[in-house]
Amino acid sequence: MKRLTALVLILVAATGFVFAGGDQEGGGVPRLEILQNKPEIDAQLKAYAAAWGQKNGVQVVVKTVGGSVDVDVDQMLTIGYAAGEMPDIFVFPGVADYEKWSEVILDVSDQPWVEETSVEFTYDGKVYGFPVAVEGWGLAYNADILEAAGVDPASLVNYAGYKAAFEKIDSMKAELGLESVVSMAASISMSWVTAHHNFNSLLSAGLPYGDLSVVNDLLAGNVDMARLSQYADWVELLFTYADQAVLLTGDYDAQVGAFAQGKAAFLHQGNWADGNIEAAGAEFPRAFAPHGALATETDGIFASAPAYYAINADSDVQELAKKFLNDLVFTDAGHRYMVEEAGMIPAFASVELSPASPLSQSVQEWVASGKVYSWNQYYFSDSFRDDTLGPIYNQFASGTLSKAQFIQAMKQAFESR
Amino acid sequence: MRKQKFDMTSWLLLLPALFAFVMVIIIPFIMGILYSFTDWSSRPQPDGMQVVGLLNYLETFKDPSFLYSFIVTTVYTALNMLIINVVAFILALLVTSNIKFKHAYRVGFFLPNLIGGLILGYIWQFIFNIVVPNLPLITELIPAIQNPANYILAERNSALMAIVIAGSWQYAGYIMMIYVAAIISVPGELFEAAKIDGAGPWMQLRTIIIPMTAQAFTVTLFLTLVQSFKQYDVNVSLTGGGPATTFMEKSILGTELLAMNIYNTAFKANQLAQSQARAVIFFLVLAVISTFQVRANKKQEIEL
Repeated sequence: MKRLTALVLILVAATGFVFAGGDQEGGGVPRLEILQNKPEIDAQLKAYAAAWGQKNGVQVVVKTVGGSVDVDVDQMLTIGYAAGEMPDIFVFPGVADYEKWSEVILDVSDQPWVEETSVEFTYDGKVYGFPVAVEGWGLAYNADILEAAGVDPASLVNYAGYKAAFEKIDSMKAELGLESVVSMAASISMSWVTAHHNFNSLLSAGLPYGDLSVVNDLLAGNVDMARLSQYADWVELLFTYADQAVLLTGDYDAQVGAFAQGKAAFLHQGNWADGNIEAAGAEFPRAFAPHGALATETDGIFASAPAYYAINADSDVQELAKKFLNDLVFTDAGHRYMVEEAGMIPAFASVELSPASPLSQSVQEWVASGKVYSWNQYYFSDSFRDDTLGPIYNQFASGTLSKAQFIQAMKQAFESR
Repeated sequence: MRKQKFDMTSWLLLLPALFAFVMVIIIPFIMGILYSFTDWSSRPQPDGMQVVGLLNYLETFKDPSFLYSFIVTTVYTALNMLIINVVAFILALLVTSNIKFKHAYRVGFFLPNLIGGLILGYIWQFIFNIVVPNLPLITELIPAIQNPANYILAERNSALMAIVIAGSWQYAGYIMMIYVAAIISVPGELFEAAKIDGAGPWMQLRTIIIPMTAQAFTVTLFLTLVQSFKQYDVNVSLTGGGPATTFMEKSILGTELLAMNIYNTAFKANQLAQSQARAVIFFLVLAVISTFQVRANKKQEIEL
């Protein structure tokens, strides 16, 4: 019996240790957890966070999710919320996600950085989101190729302009060394290019910044057939002149790679592709042309803050989280991280550095001249864009849906949303 | 044989394993079934969790993507079971015959099973997208494969076949090991007697090896059935559910197997309770089918 008692004691002790292990904090040092969604700046943010943490005596943990086939921030938050382990700072892309998480997002209207920006996230007159950066997309073009083909980028503002340019470049493919005119991807795992970025052309091209008329109509299930059919022409144009292998089965690397190697004149991506293009050794001058999705002019690109940092309202280290964000805006180290290391276009007036990479510079120029159109795709849920619209674009790309069927499927998707 | 003594000490030794099993399998399983009758979400719910009865189950059966996933998973499972077992059995016959380096072959065929499904999916994606359309050996035979519209992963049926190929490549070696063990344990006298009676290799296979390894078939068919039904990682990395297809007049993912459908319902569409209902249906179907399969196979077994 003695042995039995000893055994029970050992078991109890063992289970006790197991449970005690789970609750330990990092050795008395406060811990600040950041969840973000940009794999391309993961290393830079971690380095900056480690330096900042050392200076302030904080253990900063940066978690990054994202990429083409991966969990996203929303899924991580869902898991974290269920497990009671929410990060202290996390990113959210826009209004739909704000509404989902509003109960745990702290009101930061009183923060000093709010004065320095114009693209902060506001809801009902209060500030909830710190703009991570300014980003933009249009159709990136290789200026050398356009010049060789005699195409003036200034003509690329509407459907007719693009059609003429695409036809001309297509006819000169051999002498320009091109495999296709535009590098576009439409496989299921690249739905974020078609059903997020390209989809925004339908929602905001040609409209004043912040105009939600088309969005509200579509949300209510009223489809403007004239606009939708113009948009379908635009999608068809891009799909027709794309490299079919990249279009149907290519991933991000294949898509950006074709442009970076000079095999495509246009690239359907945003300024975040700059780093990858440079890494591929590309040296040609490049810039953005607007998405000329309509018969009328769209003289500008889609630019906004791609995501906002939110502070967790339930966090124990809110003051540290606030300091972390303010230090990005008000310290030289923060500026250097945002602009020089992460290559982002800063959203704050206090930052005087400007990005070195050409596509980011192009975005900054469009923004500076006020020729920008808003990002409205976030008014639709992720699941609607990925699982309802994504397959429709994919079928249109592979030819299993004709243009008329594409228009019909899109119309039906909005009506039965 | 002496009767096994089950006293307190043996129960105590069992306790840690039993504790873990109850904590991570039994309790979550029961909780999961309960959740499937509610509108539970991991999000802040101001009114708390409500019981909604069978609503999640009704919604599930109304969703074309779930019905489609069910069909496509059944097709996938049938193909996958057939191919894995045929390949594994042939490999097992090969490595138990008198060829040189048979031990090296055993290890080689088993190795793919050690590679994680995600990595394996990406490797095969590269093979299907880049290697196959550009390999002269293949393109000379089938020139049409160079057309991107005919890429293996660009078309629904061939993309499903691609998951079967990658899945078989991963799993056939593992199943082979079970067949190898079964074939080795067949008494040698049977073959000797068969040889004296003048039976050729085909006759030996049909009348000795297959009946004598029937027990192994019960196990392997069960394993491949369950494994195919639960396929997720290769599905995600190889096709991501694409390409799209039309089903019940809706554009949906063409190679989204059940496990992926359940995951997407939970974390993309954010319908956690409904996803739980799907998981319960999934469990029931799998339990019923595999019970029937094992029963049917048991009848074929012979005791020595």
